Parts: sequence; structure tokens; C-alpha cells
Amino acid sequence: MLAGPGAYGYELKQSLEHEFADVLPALNRGQIYMTLGRLERDGLVTAEAVAGDSRGKRVYQLTESGRTELTDWIGRPIPAERFKDQFFMKFVVVAAAGLATPRRLIGLQRREYLRTLRELDTRLDAGDQTLASELLVEGAVLHLKADLEWLDLIEQRMEDQGAYA
Amino acid sequence: MTHVLEARDLVKTYDVDGVGTPALRGVSLTIDQGEFVAVMGPSGCGKSTLLNLLAGFDRPTGGEVWLDGERIDGWSEARLARMRRGKVGFVFQFFNLVPTLTVGENVELPLRLVGRRRAAARRVCGELLGDLGLPGKRDTAPYLLSGGEQQRVALARALANDPAIVLADEPTGNLDSSAAREVLVLLRRARDRGQTLFVVTHDARVAAAADRVLSMRDGMLVDEADLEVGVGRLPGSGGQR
Amino acid sequence: MILVLARLAFAGIRTRLLASALTIAIAAAVVSSLVIAVEIRATGVTPWQRTFDAAHGAHVLANTPTAADARAIAARPGVTERTEPTPIASTQIELDSGDTVDVFVAGLEGHPSVNAPVSTDGTSPRDDGIVLERSLAEALNIGVGTTINLAGTNGPTPLHVVGTAISPAQPRYPRSNPGLAWLTRDTLQRIQPSPGQWSWTVALRLRDPATAPAFADRAVADFPPQTVTVDSWQAQRDTALQDAQPVTVILTAFTLLLMIVAAAVVSILVGARTSTQHREIGLLKATGMTPRQVSLVFVIESATLGLVASVIGFAVGAAAAPQVATASAATLLSPPQTAISPWHLLLAVVAVVPVLAISAYLSSRRAARFGVLQAIHSGEPKPAPRARLSRAIARLAPSLPVQVGLTDLLARRRRAIWLAAAITVTGAVLVFTLSVQAALNARPAGEISDVPTELPVLIYTLDAVLLVMTLTALVAVALLSVRERIRDFGILKAIGLTPRDSGASLVAAHTALAIAPALISIPLGVALYLGIYAAAAGDTDGVDIAPWWWLASVPIALPLLVAAATSLPARAASHVRVAQAIRYE
Repeated sequence: MLAGPGAYGYELKQSLEHEFADVLPALNRGQIYMTLGRLERDGLVTAEAVAGDSRGKRVYQLTESGRTELTDWIGRPIPAERFKDQFFMKFVVVAAAGLATPRRLIGLQRREYLRTLRELDTRLDAGDQTLASELLVEGAVLHLKADLEWLDLIEQRMEDQGAYA
Repeated sequence: MTHVLEARDLVKTYDVDGVGTPALRGVSLTIDQGEFVAVMGPSGCGKSTLLNLLAGFDRPTGGEVWLDGERIDGWSEARLARMRRGKVGFVFQFFNLVPTLTVGENVELPLRLVGRRRAAARRVCGELLGDLGLPGKRDTAPYLLSGGEQQRVALARALANDPAIVLADEPTGNLDSSAAREVLVLLRRARDRGQTLFVVTHDARVAAAADRVLSMRDGMLVDEADLEVGVGRLPGSGGQR
Repeated sequence: MILVLARLAFAGIRTRLLASALTIAIAAAVVSSLVIAVEIRATGVTPWQRTFDAAHGAHVLANTPTAADARAIAARPGVTERTEPTPIASTQIELDSGDTVDVFVAGLEGHPSVNAPVSTDGTSPRDDGIVLERSLAEALNIGVGTTINLAGTNGPTPLHVVGTAISPAQPRYPRSNPGLAWLTRDTLQRIQPSPGQWSWTVALRLRDPATAPAFADRAVADFPPQTVTVDSWQAQRDTALQDAQPVTVILTAFTLLLMIVAAAVVSILVGARTSTQHREIGLLKATGMTPRQVSLVFVIESATLGLVASVIGFAVGAAAAPQVATASAATLLSPPQTAISPWHLLLAVVAVVPVLAISAYLSSRRAARFGVLQAIHSGEPKPAPRARLSRAIARLAPSLPVQVGLTDLLARRRRAIWLAAAITVTGAVLVFTLSVQAALNARPAGEISDVPTELPVLIYTLDAVLLVMTLTALVAVALLSVRERIRDFGILKAIGLTPRDSGASLVAAHTALAIAPALISIPLGVALYLGIYAAAAGDTDGVDIAPWWWLASVPIALPLLVAAATSLPARAASHVRVAQAIRYE
């Protein structure tokens, strides 16, 4: 939006909320303006007061360097996440310390994943979302399915190793 | 209250070239009216064997199977077949439909088998097909339908006689994700109407739709997750309830 | 490339031994029948020649009203040996039952030099004694040593039967009616004293036997038409060998009918193969084989089976031909001999192999045209339901298992048609056999029928062979369809069809399929009977058709037989285990 004719801060907030309505928590107005302020400080956007606007709202727009930064951002893929799983950390630590059986841990986690999956699916069934939020939910579902598969794999391997109780 | 379906210590051992291969090693479970129960597990864990025993397609080596308060594991083939007509609906992973019969004739089969008149059977069939999103497909040949549509027809047939329980073996196993979703929606809707369901699946989404998810490994039940919100159940060992 | 195809073909034969065996059996039966039909006449040639030589037979045999005419013919140039004219009288043998049988008697004076009767039992004629022609004696069941009464001008004359003999000029009784017997001249004069009632026969040998037919024509031309008969030895031989003609006619018809059954079996088996092997075919085509080459594999297979069957059938037929001809050897000195000719083998191959090859080609063409991907990925190309036909069946079928079975059977339309054709052929032959039996029964008791005694036996044997072939093919096809439909049976059982219902659906469907062909086979069988009768007897005068209640038994018996035959595959259908049937492939 900033790349175009420019927008007010509240317009940005509105459109973000519209796109990602159900899946992201409501955005704090302050967050938007803080971010805009930082961008302005870094010289990536400019703010101009609009003539005749009594409230002093300003229209934000990209600068040249801002545009360059935008182009770079577009071209840069998001790095893939690796090795960051909270459950696995917990599992290794707790199981190694003998504080709980691996089976119990995995069972609890599995139940949690399944319940969340169920929730997400129910939400999708309600069918009242934009395409964007639908895709986000589907993405989460697929991640959960992968996580469940991983649980199965952990169980399988531990059994093969004879380390399962 | 009698359980709709109950398995008591089911054991099944296959004899392959003189070597006994255990497929089930003592499985017990109960399914009550209106429950949607799913079984998950890696391939070879015995979940399909379990389903075959519960449906009466195979005889257990040990243990008992009870359906609607009657013990069925010792029954003759003919008696089992007659029982299945009215009490059990079955959905396979594929090859569900008799290819030389039209869609309508496939769905009407269970109705005709219990003796419903042709006109009544046609009416019920029409309603079911409409409910499941396939109006107007009555006279179509099965091979003209997509995989998802065929599974929906199979589900219609399984529900035709208002059975005590619907058993499904990987109902979404052969479908792409959108077709699988359609079938899942229909399964959930059936459950919402009070149909008892028992589904073997490797699709976590299907399992997540269930009220209870059983995990199997190596011929035994190893875990049971109750997905109804608020009720916690700790996993035991060996699958005994 | 052809080698690759051939190797595939042989692999196909090897992996389906039973089906191949069935095909070979039926094709071999066709060939045997054809070979016998072609060879049976020839099996008599050498024996006849031996009889002719033993009799010092007549190159020319003349039959005239007066002795003078006979001598005139004997005086013609080219004659090297002659007998004195022999008188022939016409009289009757009086049987114990009171019936009389017409017979010609020849009055011999001593032993004739040419065309002497060849003694087969007992002695030559003497006073008070009579020698009967052997086939006459056998037909009337008169043995040497008994006494018979001959009708004479002076009343019945008792005579001792002192012997039996055969003559190369006398064809088998009762085909040649009246029969022949020999007396002494004196006895003849006692029986029929008036020479005006005699006819005369004279036997001649020529310097050049090959000219006998021309000699006979010239001799006949000297006389007013229809007064004398002059037969060359070639004509005598042909008449003698013509005895085999009814058998040839019947066997030829049977060969053609059996070919229909063979074509049906091959078409069905190959058709089933191309559908169950769709995946292999798809793979072959993915590697570059054209549909025509795929068909060629099946053609090579069937042709190979046909060749093997031809050799087997030829051996069996050549060995069997003399056996079949045995009865007609009553007039011959030695039993019929195998008359093998390599041309017959060639004929058999040319007759049978194309039938099999073309059937295989046509029924594999449809399946071979499936697209590669479709063949590999989709399930077996199954037949589709036809809505209108299904509705008709649903209305008519008395129960659900019957409806399901019939719908499935008729869904494979070609196969159903071929099965119906085979059943129709079998029914028609049954009707034919019944008509033959009815014709025999219709003759008044004691009257000698001109149907040779071995003919009904032959017809019953052929009928049994055809029945066995068709029913075996039926069992094989039904078993095949159970295997093809094993998943369907699994599904039906899962839904709630009991084992008995599964089996019943198979039996009921095939039985229902058999009804219409069995009905159609009645008029066809009658037409077959009339046609063969005309071919064998020259016309259809006086032919009897079997009574309607006999004919009505065919549409009842045939479906019952079909039901019995399919009850074995039905057990396989009822024993299908759901758990295994629903497996992926």
C-alpha cells in the first residue's frame, strides 16, 4: 500500500485486519505507528500532512531507498525453519532425566496436536473466511500433520532402539 | 447399556508357510452409540486386521467380537452376511462399487437385500444421493465418477439401511486433499446425526474429527486420546480399558 | 520384433496351461472330425481292391433282360474273359416274424470264373442250400446252419443256409436293397421255373481295365434306354465306397458346428485375457508396441495352439477313421485301413488355424486399443452398466442375487453372445439327435431301415462329445469370470450377500442366459436335421420330425445342464473371502 499512492496509518491497520482477520490477534494501533515511525527514521518512508486535514493525520509513502528495500524484501525468500521444536527439547530433557515415560509425553503431545487440528478444521468448516486466512489455516493443519508424523517416527525409532517403555 | 461394538482380547495370527505371524495380540475396545472412533497406526500395525474382524470378514484366532449385544465371532458366513445387511455399513479404501451396476443400483443394494420394495429403495437412494451432494447421478456408471464421488456413493450405500455402525477402512486413503475434505465433512455430518462410526485411517485430519483416537502399534492398542474438550484420559499400557 | 512377440506368446501359453489345454482339446476335436470325414471313404479303397482281386472281379458287369443280350455285350471287342450269363430271379425271404424281405437270387453253375462270390463263411451253394450275401445275413440275423424259407412259385421252399459270401459288385445291405443270395441253377429253377421272369448278368474282364467306363457307355448305347445296366469296375467301387457317405455328411456338419464352439471358446478366453492383462499390455505399449502388435501376440498364441491341435487331431482322426468305417466293411474282405495323406493334415491346419487366429485377433483388438495411461493406472477396464438393460433386468429378475448375476453376465456383451452361440449349437445337435431317434422309432417293427446301424451310435457319440466340450467350456468361462469378479463378490459379501446367494447369482445368471438359445435351437436343429437328411438321402420325402414333447425337453434339459455345470464355479464364488478379495490387486 505504501508503494502506491500512499495511505493513512489507520487505513493500513484496517486492511491488515481485513486480510488476516481471524487468525492474527487484533493489532494494536500503537504498533502500527511505532513501526511507521521507525521506517521514517530509517529513511524508507516519508510522511506528509494533508492539506485541509484538521486531525493532523499524515499520509505515508515510500522513498526511493524504501522502494529498493521493498524490492529486495520481495526477492528474498523466508529462511526455512529448522531444528526449532519446543516439544522435542522438552521430550529429550524430560526423558533423559527419567522424569516421565516417553510414551506418556508423546501421548499427551499427540492429543494436543489432534485437538488443535480438530479446532482448525472446525474453523475451516465454518467457511466464513477470506482466501488468505483459509490458506493460513490450511498451512497450520499441514504443519500439525507433519508434527504428528514426527511423533510417530520418534515412537517407531525408540522402539527399534529398545528404548521405549 | 450395551455397546454397539465390542472387542474382547482379540487375537489374530496368520499362518504363513507354517510360521505364525501375529497380526493382533490382544485388542479390547468398546464403541458406544453415537461415537466416532478412529484408529491410527503405521502400516502393518494390524488396524485393517482389526477392522476385518469387527466386520466379520475374518475369524479371530482368539477373543470375542460383540455387535449390538450379540457375539458374532463364531457365526457362519451366511449369518454374518445377513447381519451385515441391516447393521453394518462398510466403506473401503477403493473398489467400493460394483462396476456393472449403476450408482443408484449400488446404493440400493443393501435396501433390496433387507427386503425393501423397489419403490421405497429408490426413494431412500434418491434422498441419500441428494444429501451427499450427488443428485442426478443415479443412472451413472461408477467408472465415470471421480474418486471422491465414488467414495461418497460408497458412504451413501453404507448409510442406506441406517446401520448400527459404519465401519470405514482408510476412506480417504486414495483421495486428494479436497476430495478427502468432502468425505470428511460427510462423515462428521453423519456423526452429528447420531451415526456411530469406526474409522481406520492414517490421515490425521480424519482422526482429528473423531471423538476418540486409538493408536495401534504391532498388533496392540498403545494409546487412546479422547478429543472431546475437557476430558482427559491418561494412556495406559497394553490398551486395556 | 517377431521373435519378441513369439516369446511373449509362448510365455502366455505356458502361464495359462488349463485354458490352452481347453483350446487344444476343442480344436483337436474339430480336426479329428474333419479328418475322419475326409478319410473315411478312402479307408475302404484298399480293402475293396482286395475283395475285387479275390473275386477275380468283373471290369464290366452287365445286367440284361435276356441271355442273348448278355452274350451280345460279352462279344464286344476288348473282352479277355467272360462268364456264361447267370440268371437272376427276384423273390422273398420269409422271416419267422411273418414279414418278407425282397431279395435277388443268382443261379450259379459251378464256380464262376469272373466275379465269383468270395466265401466268408461256410461253403458255396449246393442243392437245397443257399449262400447269403454277408451284410444281408447280418442285417436279418440269419446264421449259417439255419433254414430259411424262400418264396417260390410253388410255395415256400425251405433251404439250408450253407454259407455267406461277399461280392465287390454288391454294396452293403440295407443301403442296397434288395440284397443278394446265391443258389445253384437247379434250385433257382425250382424257385422260379419261368425263364421269362429271369434277368441275366454277365461278368467281363477287359484287356485294358482303364477303358471300362467307355466300354460300359458304348455297350449301353446299343440298347433301348433303361433296359440294360452296365457298370464299370470304377462305378462298382464308387458305389461300394459310397456307403460311407452318410457318415461323411454328418461328420462334416459336426465339424462346422464344433468350429463355432471353438471360435466361441477362443474369443472368450482371449477377451478375458486382454482385460485382466491390461497392465502388461499398457506397459508393452509404453515401450513402443503398437496395438496391432499386441493383437499379434494373441494371434501367434492361438495359431500355435491350433497347430498343436491339428497334429493331435490328425493323429487321432487318422487312427479313428478305420474304426468308424468298420461297420461299413461288412461287404469288404479286409477291415478298413488308415488312409493317411499329408494333404489331409494341411487341410486340417488350413481349416482350424485361421478360425482360431481370427477369433483371437478380433477379440484382442478392442482391448489392445486402450490408451497406455488408462491401461496402467486405472483399474481393470470393466464393463459398464447399460441403464435400460439394467432396468429391464431389475424388473424381470425374481430376486436380487439373480439380478446382480444377470446384470454382470450381460454387461460383457460379446462373451454373453458367444456363450449363447455355443449353447444354441449344442441344443441344435440335441434336437438333431432326437429327430434321428424319432425317425428310427417311427419305423414299423421288423422293417429293415436303410439307416446303417452304426449311424445312431455315431450320432450319439458326437452329441456326447459336443455336450462335454460345451459344458467344459462353460465351467472354464464361469470359473474365469469368478476370478475376474472376485472383488465384486467381496463387496457384495461385505454388504450382506450370503455365500449361497453369491453362488446362486452365478448359476441363475448362466441358466437364464441359456433359455433363449435353447429355444432358438429347436427350429435350428430341425433345419439341421432336414438339411442333413436331404444331403444324405437326396430329398426330404417321408421325413419325420421328432414329436413336440421330445423337442420341448431341450429348453428344459439344456438350462438344467448349464445350471449343473456352473454349480462348480458357484462354489468358488461362495467361498470368496472378503478380506482377501478387497486387496488391491
